Amino acid sequence: MKKNTKIAIYSGVIPSTTFIERLIHELSKNDVRVYLFGQKTKPVKKSKNIYYITYSNRVHKFLLFLKYTLLLLVFKAKEKKKLDKIIRSKKKNLRHLKTKYYPVLYHHPDIFHLQWAKSVEDWMWVQNFGIKLVVSLRGAHINYSPITDKNLANSYTSLFPEVDHFHAVSKAIKNEAIKYNAPEKKIKVVYSGLDLNAIKFHEKLFASKTPLHIISVGRAHWIKGYTYALKSIHQLKKMNVSCHYTIIGATNNEELLYQRWLLGLENDVQFIDKMPFKNVLQAIKKADVLLLPSLKEGIANVVLEAMALGTLVVSTDCGGMHEVIVDSKNGFLVPTRNPNAIANSLKEVANLPLERYLNMTKEARKTVTEQHNISKTMQDMQDLYAEVLKE
Amino acid sequence: MKIGLVLPALPAYSETFFTNKIKGLEAQGHSVVLFINKKDNDNGGFSNIKYAPNISKNNLQTIIISLFRLLGAIFFSFNASRKLFTLDKKDNISFKQRIKNIIGSSHILSESVDWLHFGFGTMVFNKENVAGAIGAKMAVSFRGFDIGVYPLKKPNCYSILWKKVDKIHVISDDIKKLLFLHGYCGNAKVVKITPAINTAFFTREQTPTFSNNNFITVARLHWKKGLVATLEALALIKKEGISFHYTIIGEGVALERLKFAVYQLDLENEVTFMGKLPHQKIKENLLASDIYLQYSLQEGFCNAVLEAQALGLLCVVSDAEGLSENVLHNQTGWVVPRNNPKELASKIIEVIKLPKELKQQISQNAQDRVNKVFNLTKQQQAFLRFYEEE
Repeated sequence: MKKNTKIAIYSGVIPSTTFIERLIHELSKNDVRVYLFGQKTKPVKKSKNIYYITYSNRVHKFLLFLKYTLLLLVFKAKEKKKLDKIIRSKKKNLRHLKTKYYPVLYHHPDIFHLQWAKSVEDWMWVQNFGIKLVVSLRGAHINYSPITDKNLANSYTSLFPEVDHFHAVSKAIKNEAIKYNAPEKKIKVVYSGLDLNAIKFHEKLFASKTPLHIISVGRAHWIKGYTYALKSIHQLKKMNVSCHYTIIGATNNEELLYQRWLLGLENDVQFIDKMPFKNVLQAIKKADVLLLPSLKEGIANVVLEAMALGTLVVSTDCGGMHEVIVDSKNGFLVPTRNPNAIANSLKEVANLPLERYLNMTKEARKTVTEQHNISKTMQDMQDLYAEVLKE
Repeated sequence: MKIGLVLPALPAYSETFFTNKIKGLEAQGHSVVLFINKKDNDNGGFSNIKYAPNISKNNLQTIIISLFRLLGAIFFSFNASRKLFTLDKKDNISFKQRIKNIIGSSHILSESVDWLHFGFGTMVFNKENVAGAIGAKMAVSFRGFDIGVYPLKKPNCYSILWKKVDKIHVISDDIKKLLFLHGYCGNAKVVKITPAINTAFFTREQTPTFSNNNFITVARLHWKKGLVATLEALALIKKEGISFHYTIIGEGVALERLKFAVYQLDLENEVTFMGKLPHQKIKENLLASDIYLQYSLQEGFCNAVLEAQALGLLCVVSDAEGLSENVLHNQTGWVVPRNNPKELASKIIEVIKLPKELKQQISQNAQDRVNKVFNLTKQQQAFLRFYEEE
């Protein structure tokens, strides 16, 4: 990529998720000028090549609007007129849109990289000014929102063919996007990566793994499928496999509390509050098996983390999970919505000889090292941008 | 006799049991005053309504309303307010909370009633001593979620209530059992009065023929209604090559989850979400259906199942709390253990395959029983006895 290429990384809020923050940092190191627009929710550290055009409160937002209205009037009056016409055609809060759009038009990045697909309709206009539009496909925005919201699906179907390039976090998500008319050759799969130097492999040393210590990590949302996990623990108990199950990040959920009570699992299942990343890693490291009972995922980061740490994974075969886990080789895959299958898999883990357990976890570490290390991810993202700029 | 009912909002049309109860009491010469939390534009035809102060927000308006209400309580209900303060103090409630309790109950403290009846267990929080303060007897209704789910989230949340209550109303035997499970060991009488429906409205003229596999559920789209498990059961039925159609009437937070389940389970051609419908339309949809499904995880009693039975539908329900009293297994419908899609699927298949005469017999049994046991007159009499008997 050319030096001083301008890329806007847009997620609406600053700072953003771990992955996006890392991407910003990495790009700025490689002499790309990174522009960040939107609402600042926490203080950020100034750093070379990163330009913040942000607001943190209403007054601030209004001043930003005034500043960029003025700058555009003086330096880019023609473009402003053209953009205003586009804004007027949208039946939305005009000033809100102007506050969002004006700074982007003024700074005119080479690439506008939208992190969340749902707002694709809001940002198609950048193409009218020669800015390339890149859209990331991840999470609910592509996994289930368009399935349950037909208007969103229609909007995707009509706009996806126009987008300059897509970044998909898994092959499965790439295939989802193709359903909404995204051109296949314009979608690049870039797996998210871990900083493997910071996550050391831990060789388990237990002689016997009973009671089996099972862990899941993630908020109490229905898509995470925890009710199926609870039913599987109930099954395991019936099979006389002694176990203990912890869900981190799912406290105070009425449905889960009720299921736990109904299934008589109050002594076997513990819900604990979300905790800092460092502590989550510690907890995964201590567990015998990480369970992902989700109904749909891109590729769950927590699974990659467990694989890197040396904790065996049992995951549902949903979304892109089979792109990381090869059943019985580096973990276990089970069908979704199937407590019996989860229970059988967990039982198999409980009975694994240590040698086989270690073979599998070493395979898992190998998989993430090859496929999900941060340097590869960052290189792939930069290749994606270079490709877009060549078009 | 004067009876005060404490409710979160004015009874909606669908909450026939409240409206009917009030009408019944008034017809017998008793007077009823409603203590309502959330103000509504429409008074629903009720004359005597007192609204709780709206102090949920954290702003200047709340402070002013609070001060106003506090002064009002001290001036106009001095004795009751003082009594509430002392009773709360005996229960080791903090000074700040005691003041808040006076403000929060100021609309009740100014009234004098013989019975103060809380419509749900969860309505009693921070009002445990209000009945005592105004010299009324205290009654509490437990209806399902308040005793089935809430105490799991907040263990011992009713420990003060258990000591104060004079009479408890439950809507099913299983709800009564849950009281004891969640710490009730008091002396107050526990009286079961099941809900009732307007049997004059829910009637059918023609004998059903059960010639189609049209399934239906009328429910709020909430996890406790077990609709995901229902859809999973239907997916199993589809795999058996049986064709059917399933209509869900109702709205709620679980819509996205259910739509996703329909997609993932490949039921898009078999399932229709109708949203919320008026009563007449619900009746029409029920009459056009053959089998009513109510595979709840948790359920106090369920009026929708009563309505479906009154209209002669074949009801397949879970064994959640009141449902096994609502539907008598093999007599007026079928009761399946909850939380198990496979069992539900095989029961539905079994019901589909029954001879027409047997289906009609069960349907008739259900209609007869609902008319006889769950009519409004019976419920009104039961509530009269509830307040009049010692």
